[in-house]
Amino acid sequence: MKKVEAVLIDLSGTLHIENTATPNAVEALKRLRASRVKIKFVTNTTKESKTVLYQRLKKLGFDISQEEIFTSLSAANDLIKKDQLKPMLIVDDAALEDFSDVSKFDGKPDSVVVGLAPEKFNRPVLNEALRLLLSGGKLVAIHQGRYYKTSSGLSLGPGPFVKLLEYAAGVEAVTVGKPNVEFFKAALEDLGVADPTTAFMIGDDVRDDIDGAQRLGLKGCLVQTGKYRSGDETKISPPPDLVLGDFSNAVDQILSHIGQS
Amino acid sequence: MLVRVLSISIGSTLLRGTCNHISSFTVKRLKSQASNMDGVKGLLIDISGVLKDGDVVIDGSVAAIKKLQSANFPFRLVTNETLKPRKTILSTLSMLGYNIDEKILFSPVPATVEILKRENLRPHLLVHPRMIPEFEGVDFNDPNCVVMADAYEHFTFENMNACFRKLMAMENPVFISLGIGKYYMDDDGMALDVGGFAKCLEYATGVSPRVVGKPSRDYFLAAVNDMNLKCDQVVMIGDDVLHDVGGAQAAGLKGALVRTGKFTKRDENHPTVKPDLIVNNLAHAVELLFGTSPS
Repeated sequence: MKKVEAVLIDLSGTLHIENTATPNAVEALKRLRASRVKIKFVTNTTKESKTVLYQRLKKLGFDISQEEIFTSLSAANDLIKKDQLKPMLIVDDAALEDFSDVSKFDGKPDSVVVGLAPEKFNRPVLNEALRLLLSGGKLVAIHQGRYYKTSSGLSLGPGPFVKLLEYAAGVEAVTVGKPNVEFFKAALEDLGVADPTTAFMIGDDVRDDIDGAQRLGLKGCLVQTGKYRSGDETKISPPPDLVLGDFSNAVDQILSHIGQS
Repeated sequence: MLVRVLSISIGSTLLRGTCNHISSFTVKRLKSQASNMDGVKGLLIDISGVLKDGDVVIDGSVAAIKKLQSANFPFRLVTNETLKPRKTILSTLSMLGYNIDEKILFSPVPATVEILKRENLRPHLLVHPRMIPEFEGVDFNDPNCVVMADAYEHFTFENMNACFRKLMAMENPVFISLGIGKYYMDDDGMALDVGGFAKCLEYATGVSPRVVGKPSRDYFLAAVNDMNLKCDQVVMIGDDVLHDVGGAQAAGLKGALVRTGKFTKRDENHPTVKPDLIVNNLAHAVELLFGTSPS
């Protein structure tokens, strides 16, 4: 492989699971930084704002700066501004902060933006969204993740609720987060990396992290933590470039690539 | 010219309403269709749009049902209603003059219960709580399937997530959805039907829902089996050309379309569904069945 320029790293399920770091992840990140490779944390964790994510990672002991976090919320915000949408935001209250400049407008909403908002995924809110969509509103999905891991078990992600609205209203959503290749491209552009084949993507979601990144040309590295379930590596074609036990193992593997190049 | 248009309009209103005034063309058509009732030993009859519109009775249907009952001719009422218990549906019908035995009322819940018992399925339920007593006799221990119907305000994240986790934990997950409708008109506007919620879980788990309710084949078969008849001996009579008539035909039954309820003129020339019979209302379907010419 060419010289390794950058590593994109998923957060939830890869670096940590809720308020616990995955095994040896803090030390592994230090080792990776020592190699001088460029790093971006790319996340579909739409439930929380960048500030909340940053503070949690800091608290877990990770050496990280807020500017290194690239979220699907930022990507959604960009789309709302570009298309001048007046969105009904189905996102968690904690994430509203990242939408403060687009959430105030005159008149009725003309679009529905769906993030991860468990307390808002209920019939009255979804009916309101349905009516907006039936009257011609646009549906924007911050991402279409099927489920994610919490301390109490697997939980429904925003994707299933996007599918609910797509089926009922007969519309198709625009997705801005992973696995959209534009999302990975924008993250690499932020790092000043033009050639995706010089970058790795480490994540626990075989479809959203690995398949999406590999389609852009990155090397996909699936870790068997978080939402990973046995057999996930066979769910995409081509399969993941690498499959490793956890983030720490993945870093060692990538460092050996860097050493060889 | 204006007068002529007006009279046609009145004529068609009469056809859709009382239907005692039938054009000579319609009489010929009905007579030519009468042979389609040959060999018919049982009927499936939709409720909404055939027996009643909302709380209003459809003319001739009370007498038609009485005629079937006094001839001991087998029939079942079939509906996709999952928000009202059978007792409520029956009391509405009774108020309108129908005398219906609960045993012949087929709604998706009893059809589901039959499937659950037959296939040793133990459900985790997401249905409206007032429907739970209808699942009497079903084993709920250690669920090996998820059953979902329109749960109305009980469609919460917690309830959906509980279904999701159950399906993910099952070795051979079975997911049953009572109907697959997209939305319907509720008191305060359009409201999500069960279909979207079923698609939600399907996407999350990769388990496709088995649909019980029109237009599913299983649903029609359960009602036909209940009469101990074969599919080709039974006619489904309904006002929904796609779900009643098309669904029944796909299951091997005959399908009769009535010009009452939600019927519109263009249903007679549906691009994919060709009804075996098109009748003005239930009364005329029954007259054809018993070989008496319409008055």
